[in-house]
Amino acid sequence: MMKLKIFLGAILGILTSLTSLNAQVKGLIVGPGAERYPIAVSPLKNLGQSDDTKKLSEGIADTIVRDLNLSGWFKVLDRSAYIENPQSTGITLGSFDFKDWSVIGAEGLVKGGFTLQGEELTAELRLFDVYQGKQILGKRYTASAKDFRRIAHRFADDIIFQFTGVQGVFNTRIAYVSTGSGRFKEIYVSHLDGSERLQVTNNRTINLSPSWAPDGRSILYTSYKDGNPSLYLFDLFAGKDSKFSSRGGLNLGGKWSPNGKFVAVTLERQGNTDIYLLDSGGSLVRRLTEYPGIDVSPTWSPDGQSLAFVSDRSGSPQIYIMEVDSGKTRRLTFSGSYNTSPDWSPKGDRIAYTSRVAGRFHIFTIPVQGGEPQDLTPGSGDNEDPSWSPDGRYLAFSSNRRGSYNIYIMQASGENQQRLTASGGDDKNPSWSPRLE
Amino acid sequence: MTVRLSKAWLGLIFLAFLTLAGCSRTATSQPQTSPPSSSQPSAKAETAKPSPKDSTSLEQLREGQASSTESGPLKEIYFDYDKYDLRADARETLKANAGWLKSNASERVEIEGHCDERGTNEYNLALGAKRAQAAKDFLATLGIPAQRLSTISYGKELPVCRESTEECWQKNRRDRFVIMTGRPAS
Repeated sequence: MMKLKIFLGAILGILTSLTSLNAQVKGLIVGPGAERYPIAVSPLKNLGQSDDTKKLSEGIADTIVRDLNLSGWFKVLDRSAYIENPQSTGITLGSFDFKDWSVIGAEGLVKGGFTLQGEELTAELRLFDVYQGKQILGKRYTASAKDFRRIAHRFADDIIFQFTGVQGVFNTRIAYVSTGSGRFKEIYVSHLDGSERLQVTNNRTINLSPSWAPDGRSILYTSYKDGNPSLYLFDLFAGKDSKFSSRGGLNLGGKWSPNGKFVAVTLERQGNTDIYLLDSGGSLVRRLTEYPGIDVSPTWSPDGQSLAFVSDRSGSPQIYIMEVDSGKTRRLTFSGSYNTSPDWSPKGDRIAYTSRVAGRFHIFTIPVQGGEPQDLTPGSGDNEDPSWSPDGRYLAFSSNRRGSYNIYIMQASGENQQRLTASGGDDKNPSWSPRLE
Repeated sequence: MTVRLSKAWLGLIFLAFLTLAGCSRTATSQPQTSPPSSSQPSAKAETAKPSPKDSTSLEQLREGQASSTESGPLKEIYFDYDKYDLRADARETLKANAGWLKSNASERVEIEGHCDERGTNEYNLALGAKRAQAAKDFLATLGIPAQRLSTISYGKELPVCRESTEECWQKNRRDRFVIMTGRPAS
């Protein structure tokens, strides 16, 4: 638990200064489906006296490369093709030759340098337009050396902003359930690249359905650790775990309303599951569904006015949308006989869910007003439990396409599906954090 | 037995299990002392562990045993895929279980609802709750007082076998009955 506190303290303490160096906005617009922008990411130059060159020089570059590849907007050129020696050339305009980069096909170029003084790392990162021979973006970051990946994620986010007008999501985390530690299902949190993996629960039972508070400080989850499947709140910053709802039977899938005032949750009364509204302390506000069959898995609209959820009231599990105040409910999905685990896009326009197709499970999205569902995982394996990124441009989900279940992400279009985890066990139930700082 | 075991004790049990089973993730049969009934999937009697019929499926997980289908005098009932209504064979089994409960009127029982691996975790938990309640309601119509019966859903989380075959899925779509007498009431 001590370790946890120290670890999470570091999230608060990152990037003690952030200085912009003659940043120049240049709109190079790319979009999903568009050709990927070819970019080179050079290892960083060691600008100081420290010996620890490779870990930071390549570590920061590797992290930026991974983020840009995950983003789906870029084609990062392979480092083995680079001509220039980053340790013998400069990192500012005029101190290196753009021809060394245009000749290998790079249109964009990331260069940078770092100094390490004790444990304090200062990194300067620059983005150049190779064709125009111009600097597009320049930033300086200072952080503890062990947080070098966060500097890289920050710069990757800044690059994404430069190209798309929306900040990237590479400083976010994913909470998920894993059997990695053996037969038990424990909750973990890690960066998108799998780094800084933190085990949140260690109670050697079944822990399920993690979901983040809107401020990213805590996680709600369901656990059997005291026998009954109750809802718990784990405060990541304080390292403190508390019971949130332990009514008899299932206390499942708690989701904070966007304003942080309410939690929508599935509760069970005598075998009958319904959606209920709790306040921020876990007290009952009111019951939202009254159907005698299964109602489960609520997800909030970003304006907090509506909830999507799963009900079998039509005879098979389907997604429904309810206005919270009026209770007015309509059915959203009509294709297929098994549609579950909805997640409402932060953009508000679509709902992602799991659907059974010919005996396998696929991730679909469907417009909120209804319409044609889009199959995002028509390939092999079972694909389940989609969770949107905070910018609504990506989805995390679990898939067993390579045998055991792992967490993957893809663009909202279904393009660029990439595996994030490989614990050796089953990794499931991803929940994408809000933006964290 | 006490429900809450110390951490050290759990660790020892878990280590013992690892030694016995070799690999916990791939174990599909479970150590048992009671002979399997004819309707049950085969299980190998291997060790001198206490009979799992008195352990809940969650306790079996904690103790490093694979989930058991052995339920002592009370037999399991089985369900169709994605259904929670009672089949004719399930009702026959429940009548026999009700007979035992009537002649053992001091016994309390927990009904565990389980599902097969297909589909998402939360929906299966809701389905398991329905399956457990369906058995409880039917037993009530046969005159078993509701206060002797509790229910819990484990969804698809504690399967008895892990192959992706209909035979295995059928074994997992079950209600299991655990005698809880002597424990504190939930």
